Amino acid sequence: MLTLASTGTALAQPAFEAGPPDRSVIEDAAQRRAEYEARVNEVLNWRASGAMVKTDDPGNLGLAVVACKLALGQDLENCSLSVLKAMEEPGTGPFWMFPSVCVAYLGRESLSPEAQASIRDVWRTTRQLRGDTENHWVMYYASLYLMSELYPNEPAETWYNGLTSEENLAESKAFLIDWMDMTTTIGQGEFNPTHYIGEYAIPMLFLASWSEDPEMRQRGKMMLDWLFAELGNITLNGVMRGPNSRTDEGSVIERWNSLSSYFSWVLFGNTPPTKGYGGWGVYFATVAKNYQVPEVIYRLATDRKEDFVQRDRARIRRRWRYSEELSPPVYKTQYLRDDYAVGSTTGGQLDPIQAHAWDVSWDEPDPRGKHNTMFSLHPNSSSVAMQMSFTAYPEPWIKGVTNEGKPSYDSPDKVVGSSPFEQVFQDLDTVVALYDIPEGTRFPHINGFFSKDLVNITEDESGWIFAQGGQTYLAYRPLAAYHWIPYLHYSGGWAKEKLPIGGQLLTSPHLKNGTIVQAASVDEFANFEAFQDAIHALPLEFNLEPVPTVKMTSLRGKQISFTFGEAPQVNGEAINYANWKLFEGPHLNAEIGGRKLTITHGKLQRVLDFNTLTISDTVTP
Amino acid sequence: MNSLKTFLILIALMASTTISTATPEYDFYICAKVNRDYVIGSKVETVNGVFKRGDDGSWNHQGYNDTTLTAVAFDPRDRNVVYTSANNGLWRSLDGGKHWRICNDWDMTEARHVAVDPNAPDHVYLSLPDGIAVSTDRAQTLVRRENGLPERGKYTQRVTIDRTQAGRVFAACEVGVYLTENGAESWRCVLPTKEMVDDIQQSPHNSDHWLVVTQSAGAWSSQDRGLTWKQIEGVPSSHALYNITFDPTDPQRLAIASWGLGVLTSEDGGKTWQDRNAGLPEPHRVWRVGVDPDGRLYASVHKQTLFYSDDFGRTWQPDTLKGSLVNYFLTLPKLAQ
Repeated sequence: MLTLASTGTALAQPAFEAGPPDRSVIEDAAQRRAEYEARVNEVLNWRASGAMVKTDDPGNLGLAVVACKLALGQDLENCSLSVLKAMEEPGTGPFWMFPSVCVAYLGRESLSPEAQASIRDVWRTTRQLRGDTENHWVMYYASLYLMSELYPNEPAETWYNGLTSEENLAESKAFLIDWMDMTTTIGQGEFNPTHYIGEYAIPMLFLASWSEDPEMRQRGKMMLDWLFAELGNITLNGVMRGPNSRTDEGSVIERWNSLSSYFSWVLFGNTPPTKGYGGWGVYFATVAKNYQVPEVIYRLATDRKEDFVQRDRARIRRRWRYSEELSPPVYKTQYLRDDYAVGSTTGGQLDPIQAHAWDVSWDEPDPRGKHNTMFSLHPNSSSVAMQMSFTAYPEPWIKGVTNEGKPSYDSPDKVVGSSPFEQVFQDLDTVVALYDIPEGTRFPHINGFFSKDLVNITEDESGWIFAQGGQTYLAYRPLAAYHWIPYLHYSGGWAKEKLPIGGQLLTSPHLKNGTIVQAASVDEFANFEAFQDAIHALPLEFNLEPVPTVKMTSLRGKQISFTFGEAPQVNGEAINYANWKLFEGPHLNAEIGGRKLTITHGKLQRVLDFNTLTISDTVTP
Repeated sequence: MNSLKTFLILIALMASTTISTATPEYDFYICAKVNRDYVIGSKVETVNGVFKRGDDGSWNHQGYNDTTLTAVAFDPRDRNVVYTSANNGLWRSLDGGKHWRICNDWDMTEARHVAVDPNAPDHVYLSLPDGIAVSTDRAQTLVRRENGLPERGKYTQRVTIDRTQAGRVFAACEVGVYLTENGAESWRCVLPTKEMVDDIQQSPHNSDHWLVVTQSAGAWSSQDRGLTWKQIEGVPSSHALYNITFDPTDPQRLAIASWGLGVLTSEDGGKTWQDRNAGLPEPHRVWRVGVDPDGRLYASVHKQTLFYSDDFGRTWQPDTLKGSLVNYFLTLPKLAQ
């Protein structure tokens, strides 16, 4: 049988190539489900048609195509041949383990015995690495768990790690439960990830789909709800907003361009999918039929009637050294409105490489290609930060990470990363970011991102810079002198050169520094001038010595005082982050240590209780 | 017990004799990563892990292909019992590397070093990014033993066992050198530092003499079994020092590896130090140095190749293992045929 791969006539990606999806809320549950399944089938059919296959050999399709074909029940003979081929050169870690587990399960009834045996044998012969980050471990142990269930009662010598099936099962289960415990009590270590959400959601879906243990199936299902409830809550029309533990420059400036948008598209249908359905996203599609998007999650993602503030706590990934705490807390604030969203952490050193601390991002009817964001950062490049989280020696890693998928890490004009010399406070749609950069710090300046998609950029005599993005007015106040440079972009983790793609950076080469940003909807003011007048009228005092400090009245009438190194104050009251809950807002609520998330939208409520492993749905009359 | 005595005698002989016979009377091992730019999930395209030097100077791979090995240790009673520290933790083989078993639970990861106590060979020490684990049953079970280590600051780059006394072990930690004299039941700080201690070594010539190198505090020497320490003048503190080694053929010869400084050597017991980078590829990013029992000095230059010198760094020749990164050198008495 000839496959489409060998004819070179792979299908188009309809949702990626079409206009933006209709944002109207689908009231009928059956229709919602039908459209969800249609989106899933679009992914499967596209990838099974041979898209992204680099060979004309129908017996060498690669595991992703095989997984999609198996899910569709197509071309089984070539699937078996392709598995045999793929197992000749297996990978060595979680990114190989979960695709191979996916194919092993999907092919239980349809792959040839030889193909099935070849997968099993690689799990004997090839040492699999656990990796060094939380998403690695989740993928690793979910995969090992499922493989051990698929091949129970097998002796130690038949597994690459010398443990029996039962030992592997117990070990994997212990890790997964510990990770779930941590996440549901003190928050995610890789919180709000633009791409790594797939590395969590896909293993959880596999558990929910295939585990023979009802407890682990339930846990997988509940963690999916947990992850997707947060995803839905911090998206605006399907696009993730605000801070990220881990992201990249592509997603930071073009907020839609991340795997999280693929998940929004599949689950909620409210934004286009990314190119190639996010790459890894196809593995979710292979068993997506096993997940039912709860109506309450669907609605909190799509059916917004009021502005809202969500305050959450997460944690920084494990710090091995050079830190007083193993996993310090992260406090996040998100303010979402119809036209824009403002989101932040409190700054400081977050993830050592890929963090994004805060931004204001506006809605675009079609977010593809739009750089719909504004923020500033200190472009920190630090071997100490690397050594905190990695078993690294001081010198090689800065250069090393630039060769391992994070090319901008050591660039002075980068737009990704967190810094111990940045502190941030957000109240509604006002953000104050202060910088106190020690002498001798590599890159002694801050960068402010000004998008190509801003219009009416106005450098005002007052010191404010005004602009409009979409239906959002923006006011950006640099607290020290600056100059402009073109924004140059690494288009991908393995890019070797930076390219001009529009936009500019406000670069301010002063160690004591700061940024204030305020946002408002266009329809709140008669015109752009009226917005500027309103900003002009607001009291603002600031000093940069001895440490940066700001006293101001926000557009929303709040008296904000914020000094670097001190607790910010609103209307004279200091913010006490220690009192923050795991989730607090109109949609998501959870106590620290509670293992219980309450998801609310209007009359709908779902409680995920990991203490009892129960899901409770209620509808308020 | 006889085999243990034999092992210790061989160690002592090796330490005091310059071996220049055609057939070496020792086995020389390295742990090397040969893949360039390997990242988690990549296909492993080359052979990595433990290599044993053959009589012809070639490097022969032993056991598993693993890009992440940081050290290898053997049971002195039975060379078939092998331990490696690696990304996944502690691996053990009981059959000379044919089969391996991971010995740690999920909460131990990214092991930095492994050592076997020559006077208590069932005891295995594993250094971790968050402390130290010990086995007293040949790694059948592994438990954390961190009493006396600071709650924060116990990142342990290396454990080195005093060959003169069972259960006497030094740990190179984030905030200093720690010593146990009771098999890790308790630890105490014998050299405080502000940043990482990267290596600690016991002299093969004088068991009272110990050396330490650090990330930002230079090199230190102890002449009283590691109880008191004195900074070595002439070794800069400006760059991290990755490891230090004695020359088993000459008590006056020492060598240090540094990313920023390259190879530093001393031929007067540490009184003066020389830059020995001429002939090494620039920049002189030296990852590790090692000296075999013939006095041949090795330098692993980051992602270049392994280099060796038969005149203690004055001239260098490239070895094989192009693109390699050697994490560890180990010398053991050659097994009887």
